[in-house]
Amino acid sequence: MKTKQSKWLAMPFTVWGIVFILIPLFMIFYYGLIDSEKHFTLANITAIAEPEHLKALGLSILLSLIATIICLVLAYPLAMILSRLGINQNSFIVLIFILPMWMNFLLRTLAWQTLLEKTGVINSILHFLHLPSLNIINTPYAIVLGMVYNFLPFMVLPIYNSLIKLDADVINAARDLGANGIQTFTKVIFPLTIPGVISGITMVFIPALTTFVISNLLGGSKILLIGNVIEQEFTQASNWNLGSGLSLVMMIFIIINMAASAVFDKDGEGGMM
Amino acid sequence: MANKLIDLVNITKSYGDNVVLDDLNLYIRENEFLTLLGPSGCGKTTTLRIIGGFEQPDQGKVMFDGTDITNLPPNKRQLNTVFQKYALFTHMTIAENIAFGLKLKNKSKAYIDDKIHYALKLVNLDGYENRKPDSLSGGQQQRIAIARAIVNEPKILLLDEPLGALDLKLRQDMQYELIRLKNELGITFIYVTHDQEEALTMSDTIVVMNQGYIQQIGTPEDIYNEPENAFVADFIGDSNIINATMLEDRLVSFFGAKWQCVDEGFGTNKPVDVVIRPEDVVLCKPEEGTISGEVTHIIFKGVHYEMEVMAGGFEWLVHSTIMHPVGEKVGIQVDPFNIQIMHKPESEDEEVAYVED
Amino acid sequence: MKRFIERFYVAIIFIFLYAPIVTLIVLSFNSSRTRAKWGGFTTHWYSELFKNDAIMQALYNTIFIAIVSSVIATLIGTITCIALNNMKARPKNLLLGMNNIPMLNADIVTGISLMLLFISFGFRFGMQTILLAHITFNIPYVILNVMPKFKQLNPNTYEAALDLGASPVYAFFKVIFPDILPGILSGFLMAFTMSLDDFIITHFTKGAGVDTLSTKIYTEVRKGIKPEMYALSTIIFVTVFVLLLIVNISPAKEKQSRKHVSFVRRYSKQFAAAAVALILIIGSVFLFQGKGNQQVIVYNWGEYLDPEVLTMFEEETGIEVVYDEYETNETMYPKVASKAADYDVVCPSDYMIQKMIENGLLAELNYDNIPNVKNIDPDYINQSKDFDPENKYSVPYCVGTVGILYNKTMVDEPVDSWDILWNDKYKDNILMQDSVRDAFMVALKKLGYSMNSSDPKELEEAKQALIDQKPLTQAYVVDQVRDKMIGNEAAIGVIYSGEAIYTKRENPDLEYVIPKEGTNVWIDSWCILKDAPNKENAEKFINFLCRPDIALMNFEYITYSTPNTEARKLIEDDDIRNSTIAFPDLTQYNNLETFQYLGDKTDRIYNNLWKEVKSK
Repeated sequence: MKTKQSKWLAMPFTVWGIVFILIPLFMIFYYGLIDSEKHFTLANITAIAEPEHLKALGLSILLSLIATIICLVLAYPLAMILSRLGINQNSFIVLIFILPMWMNFLLRTLAWQTLLEKTGVINSILHFLHLPSLNIINTPYAIVLGMVYNFLPFMVLPIYNSLIKLDADVINAARDLGANGIQTFTKVIFPLTIPGVISGITMVFIPALTTFVISNLLGGSKILLIGNVIEQEFTQASNWNLGSGLSLVMMIFIIINMAASAVFDKDGEGGMM
Repeated sequence: MANKLIDLVNITKSYGDNVVLDDLNLYIRENEFLTLLGPSGCGKTTTLRIIGGFEQPDQGKVMFDGTDITNLPPNKRQLNTVFQKYALFTHMTIAENIAFGLKLKNKSKAYIDDKIHYALKLVNLDGYENRKPDSLSGGQQQRIAIARAIVNEPKILLLDEPLGALDLKLRQDMQYELIRLKNELGITFIYVTHDQEEALTMSDTIVVMNQGYIQQIGTPEDIYNEPENAFVADFIGDSNIINATMLEDRLVSFFGAKWQCVDEGFGTNKPVDVVIRPEDVVLCKPEEGTISGEVTHIIFKGVHYEMEVMAGGFEWLVHSTIMHPVGEKVGIQVDPFNIQIMHKPESEDEEVAYVED
Repeated sequence: MKRFIERFYVAIIFIFLYAPIVTLIVLSFNSSRTRAKWGGFTTHWYSELFKNDAIMQALYNTIFIAIVSSVIATLIGTITCIALNNMKARPKNLLLGMNNIPMLNADIVTGISLMLLFISFGFRFGMQTILLAHITFNIPYVILNVMPKFKQLNPNTYEAALDLGASPVYAFFKVIFPDILPGILSGFLMAFTMSLDDFIITHFTKGAGVDTLSTKIYTEVRKGIKPEMYALSTIIFVTVFVLLLIVNISPAKEKQSRKHVSFVRRYSKQFAAAAVALILIIGSVFLFQGKGNQQVIVYNWGEYLDPEVLTMFEEETGIEVVYDEYETNETMYPKVASKAADYDVVCPSDYMIQKMIENGLLAELNYDNIPNVKNIDPDYINQSKDFDPENKYSVPYCVGTVGILYNKTMVDEPVDSWDILWNDKYKDNILMQDSVRDAFMVALKKLGYSMNSSDPKELEEAKQALIDQKPLTQAYVVDQVRDKMIGNEAAIGVIYSGEAIYTKRENPDLEYVIPKEGTNVWIDSWCILKDAPNKENAEKFINFLCRPDIALMNFEYITYSTPNTEARKLIEDDDIRNSTIAFPDLTQYNNLETFQYLGDKTDRIYNNLWKEVKSK
């Protein structure tokens, strides 16, 4: 398909992207760098150094890191087991993980309230079995649980996809050259699935880092994450400049992540599909 | 004769309802270049994977130098494999690929470096240490795969259609390369291919397989000159396979004529198959031939002409350096030594030995 | 053994993934309105669902947006892939990099950036803005699914088709299209799902009168989710699940899917034509939708009006109501102030009214056109002077107090003071309000200060009090306090009086008290915006709401107290009509105040202090 005319087919997306992706980003820069009198300032950016903001950012990073690690630890073995089920099951497995998304995200998260509350479903069951009760609702643990729950599929799918793309003979070759099961995993299987792992980490870490809904619903609003701060600046404090400034700071992490995936996943292999 | 290095005893393997290997027995001697030859689906690759340890047989034993290794995982076996699509580790450099097995054995750095250097030299790729596999051509990748396997000094090297993905010229070069390697290393090669020419060129012993059964084991000369059944005859080179009746020892009848041959012990008036290689058919004047016919096609092949001759209601394939134009009446003669008599298959098991087309 | 462990592990993960979904399905059969209590099995909500216009409209909007945005995204994404396939590395990487931004960027940043764009360039918020936003974040999913299929293509097939005499377009549809179709379909499916599930971006880009299921649910989270919503989600989920089973488990699946593909292939042109036609029709509907002469655009709190009232108003006056909802005063303000949407009538709270007056956003009301204002209790008109000193801009709609709701079985001492919220005995059993002013009101009142204080020393003290209290609180919530108190999740909660009546009915152990230190008397009033395009209709609308029968309908629907004395007389239930919770005698209490707007600077101080509390 080496026709010259086909180049203008890129026009719609180019225009769309400039108008709805690049200009909006520029708007955030613009708002982030002015004060309410429209004078240039860096105050909105340096505001990240205020103790409340730093603490919120630190906590966000900590909780989303923990959630990402848990997701990775849970997802990798799961993806390995699923990848051995055979190729014709492929689309079914993908759909099984996408299926919960058809039940609204807010409702799914809210359902965890019903499950985790002091008088909730899980504690009723534990009580019935005369087991000690589980009191994690309105704590950081519940937020991590919510993150893991909501974003686990985004970790499983890319890893699963890199695993099924692996040539079985590459694994056989490692065994053949003397590697035992663990060595084969650490030296061959895992390194070859790093694009999928990186893509999974990105797709879990970024939404977890920036969430405000999960911390509101499962953290009892007692725990302030950077997403909550930004959301509140826009929707409650009406301080858009500060909100934009803090968004810019958050984007640094997103850029780091993009750079990491560009390094590890040159061919875009670690995709969701 | 050297001892049996690998001995496969009563191996049976099936996937679901599909029996891939049925009660297979085969041994491989030390320092032998043995080729498993057959069409796809004949069980040759499965046999190799059972030796390599990647598949477990349903029944039977794999003996290595007298010990049972049937349940030993691949990493504990003293043999290495060169895979069909090379299976190089794309996340490692060439040197890291080659060093993979040695590092696992905790060899010293100096030793490993030495080996890498030696192996790359052996496969004519010195200087490629720091390249990534993706940047190499198919032939180069193949040679790296071989280097990666041989640095571990295996007793046996298993090669699974290693040249299948290469083009013709490269394939021929690599054939010589492999023979040279084998002679330099002095180890046993077990080679899987579906290419009969490759098998004839390189092997000490050829095992012809079809549908899970061994059809014939022998030297390349045996296999080519004295195929034991129609399948082998047809699979190895071109041949004229003819229904015939063994009248008595040294006399066979087909196309209404009696032909002298050298085979004995087939009984009297027994149906048999006769194999005659195209280059063994001698064309002469019609009145001088045992039977006569007419040339229907001719193609110039470089070394010889390939002709088709209609005689006795059968289309004979003939290779000859002398040209006979289409339409010419010719006679056909065959030297008694070149008439190969084979049993007709009797049991169902043997039936599968027939090519289905 | 290994197999067993593997199976067990997969099972555990699936229980984890599907437990909340099972919970929601179970809740859809719960005859109790609150999720905190099992009231027996019922299928009532399923029949209710289809009668609930608001939810059905939200469902329609959700599906409409999902289909249109994913179809357009699929078209743009696919043709972009064709172009990308022929591009040189540099422009190609630039485009792919741009494509990655919405994928990798946080939803909240994407949502906010689009909101800023729409506001800055004067887009009218509405269905269009949601669609634009959804298309924007859907295109990357399509491109990421279709691009790999192009990579797998054998480039010679297209050339072969041209060689055999096909035109480029014909060759594309006959040769290329069938091969990339699986990628297009999975991209479309992915985009559709993402659009369906999105909340955050829609939250920031939606406009007047448009709700998707997500935003509807978020509005409801504060009030308690309506069981109809569980029923709807169950139906959607089960439908998709069954479809999935049919496609995947059916024994002739190979054949079927092949047939399916060839069906799509055969009719691909018709499909494409139909899709284009659909988009054109929808587009023209948007263009020609226009503003009818007779309409009024209402911007109200979520769940703050009986939908039946709107229908009655439309029938009686012939004026069409365009209705939109917000969650907080603070989300309403910027949308109104930026004039991104042409609202006529809004229903802000006390202090927000003052802020809007001071910023010149409100129009003076012509009370000659609102004769029914005579039904409003003069006490509240008087109280309104706190924020609308000359009673020129607002008509009270809902009123109430803020007090303490406690569970008699868990609290054994008399409750009459805010101090109980600082009592160690009730650690982890206290629910506080999750909004700046309400939280500070409690602290300031406890300390004996005015809740409209802007004295830094007093505020600092209040902040310290809130920090001291934080370890004792179970959670900061808004309206969820209701469900949690009904479900015996906590012993004490700060609650709006309007919720108290309902909670007491559901759980008789609960009791509502106005503390002796005084509290907030809040008033939500109807106001008309200065730039209202339909001022007369807006006045008719407010007048209609002040009619006693209508005010009664709204009171029964939202259960928040009405200042409409005539309406109160019509209440049939004696307990409620005479309830001192719903209709307290304001003269009985000391130190009652109403929130005032304290200026942007003081607002910022409050916000910063609150952030300090929250981050402790």
